[in-house]
Amino acid sequence: MRRYETTYILRPNLGESQITEIIDRTNDIIKNDGGTIIDLNRWGLKTLAYEIKKEKQGHYVYFDYTAHGSTVEEMERIFRIDDQILRFLTIKLADSIDQETIDNEIERIVASAAAEKLAEETEEDGEEKPAEDTEKVGEDAGKTVTDHSTDTDRNEE
Amino acid sequence: MAPRNRTFRPRVCRFCTDKELVIDYKDVKVLRNLVTERGKIVPRRIYGTCARHQRRVTEAIKRARQLALMSYSGSTQY
Repeated sequence: MRRYETTYILRPNLGESQITEIIDRTNDIIKNDGGTIIDLNRWGLKTLAYEIKKEKQGHYVYFDYTAHGSTVEEMERIFRIDDQILRFLTIKLADSIDQETIDNEIERIVASAAAEKLAEETEEDGEEKPAEDTEKVGEDAGKTVTDHSTDTDRNEE
Repeated sequence: MAPRNRTFRPRVCRFCTDKELVIDYKDVKVLRNLVTERGKIVPRRIYGTCARHQRRVTEAIKRARQLALMSYSGSTQY
């Protein structure tokens, strides 16, 4: 089992149900061959840096999973046939992965997603909720964001 | 011969100094600073990136280009 991540771009004119269907179908390919989905992330509709198959925008879907090389090959074969998929990119993240790491990773991703959500909520609520725990998480999340912006600022100089 | 007028360039790799700064093809915000306005990858003598990190940067930029997150030519304006 290896760990991979794949990002694929779908046509922008697809409906919500069609997108979900394609995602489910891809996930089934992985799961039926004994792989596990670690993370699935929809980036939504983004403008492409250049036109692909006459399209200027696309729905980005990112997922992180474990699978055998043959499974990936099969999935990519289907991607190539499917006209709704504009582009895909698979990257190998690790040569081998055990169950423990998978569980840990899933836990970590769920936790970070929860923290993000919490930070968003506290931001929305403003200072109405002075609960210490929630505020701390919000602060931490905010810190990383600001760190990032200062980095980019410096880079631009 | 007159000495060439050289401007000061940082000697330290920014990715080595700042551990928070991760090179990832998904994170276009970081990569965008490492290409020219025309989308070319900036050589490492300009920013002083170390060899190891420059390799990762080029790899990430090329991946980002494949996914249309960055353009092969021209600016990425969004």
